[in-house]
Amino acid sequence: MPIVVRLDDMLARRGMSLTQLSETVDITLANLSILKTGKAKAIRFSTLEAICDVLQCQPGDLLHHEPDADGQ
Amino acid sequence: MQNRDRLMKGARLAVRVAWVANRVFLAAVVLGLLCSWIFSGLFAEFLSRSFATGDLASVMIGMRFEIVLGIAMSVVTDRLMLALAAIVTSAGAGDPFIADNVRRLRYMGWCLLILQLFIIPGYLIGICFPGMGPAAPHPDVSIAGWISVLMIFVLARVFATGSAMRDDLEGTV
Repeated sequence: MPIVVRLDDMLARRGMSLTQLSETVDITLANLSILKTGKAKAIRFSTLEAICDVLQCQPGDLLHHEPDADGQ
Repeated sequence: MQNRDRLMKGARLAVRVAWVANRVFLAAVVLGLLCSWIFSGLFAEFLSRSFATGDLASVMIGMRFEIVLGIAMSVVTDRLMLALAAIVTSAGAGDPFIADNVRRLRYMGWCLLILQLFIIPGYLIGICFPGMGPAAPHPDVSIAGWISVLMIFVLARVFATGSAMRDDLEGTV
């Protein structure tokens, strides 16, 4: 998928673990793992907002568009 | 929630009872067919008392065809009931929008269609064996039956969409 989730990078910059983020934003660790590993099909605005609030970042810091090899 | 549980329990029981009743009917007609050969003399005597016709052999063949038709209908109904029972079980577990149920609903749709089409051999038996008289099958074209066939296929499409939406929701964080 051309949308890449860079949650790992943001967590490393903020010195926070996925478990800590999970407890703070009240989203299950399983769901955050799905998001982190790029297996999520969609993300709710409410989830994005909660993560951005905690990590003090913008949605663009978490999500990047990297076109596929065929340009899509 | 409690009402829903009661409804699902009731539905499961009703399907189970209907399935068992159909199996009993199937066993009875298979036994009847076998007995018509094993005790052919008694069968002929019974028919000669019941039918005021000279062509007893024709009536016997007609009756056997009617029993075979009953067996075929019962087998199709059995398959239908099993699929329905599986759907009711999955609905009771709170997870009805799954690909398996789409397949089951389509299967049930085909079963219902076959049951509707059984009126054709039913008519043919009546035409080919007129000596059977009122004992010949008298299948009616059921508007409700045909509408239920259509409804099941539409419902299968609805479940296919629901199942796809559920898959999407599963991947939503």
